[in-house]
Amino acid sequence: MPGGDFHPFFFVVISAWILVCALGVVLFRKIVYSAVSMVACFLGVAGAYALLNAELVAIIQILVYVGAISVVILFAIMLTEVQGEDYRLFFNRQSVFAAPLGVAVAVILTVLVTSSQIADVGEVTRNVGVHQLSQLLFNRYVFPFELVSLVLLAAMIGAIVLARGEGEKR
Amino acid sequence: MSPLDWWLLLAVLLFSIGAFGVLARRNTILVIMSLELMLNAVNIALVAISQFRAGSTGAGVLFSLFVITLAAAEVTVGLAIVISNYRAKRTVQADRFDEMKG
Repeated sequence: MPGGDFHPFFFVVISAWILVCALGVVLFRKIVYSAVSMVACFLGVAGAYALLNAELVAIIQILVYVGAISVVILFAIMLTEVQGEDYRLFFNRQSVFAAPLGVAVAVILTVLVTSSQIADVGEVTRNVGVHQLSQLLFNRYVFPFELVSLVLLAAMIGAIVLARGEGEKR
Repeated sequence: MSPLDWWLLLAVLLFSIGAFGVLARRNTILVIMSLELMLNAVNIALVAISQFRAGSTGAGVLFSLFVITLAAAEVTVGLAIVISNYRAKRTVQADRFDEMKG
């Protein structure tokens, strides 16, 4: 099979994997199960990027999401372990409102996607290499790049200040 | 339906699952996890459109990297807020944070 084509088989496998894991995140009663399911979902999304010929994004997805964000979330779960979260799907009041809203979002967006005609759609995905992306990043989009690093710095300082707590200030 | 439509459909379904999670769960950590699902869905749409459009320069792929970075920042700050709330109230359930209730 040529590298850039649409593979229906792999697409179905990857999307089923992603959607099942995402449902697991939302529906599991124990939050640790949800977190593990989320890690699996992120891995599936990395596979989706690889299938879309975006290798760099796939690698960064694994590094940042599977590597860093999952660990941070698991740490937060460990630090805030609460016994007996009483979660029953379709028996709590929120789910009764949330389920129709979720379905409505899905239906509206599906109608939008299927009815819209995005111009110049090729049948073959293109291979955007690291070289091309770095050219873009450090020439045309260098200002957003610097802005993002500033946001990261602010987030780091903010997280330290917030998580340090009141009693430990010196 | 073209291949791009199928990819966008996957993004739509993932996004609505995440939206359901944000609305339905009370555990604030799980709300943040569902938010991450929604951001992933948007990223899939960005990359798919960028890869399938004939005249694109790859800017969509680049912006998905920006989204990933900002998601990481959002998670750190969000979880720091959750942990400092947990210190004060000994809970992470969103409906217990009702100090402002009139």
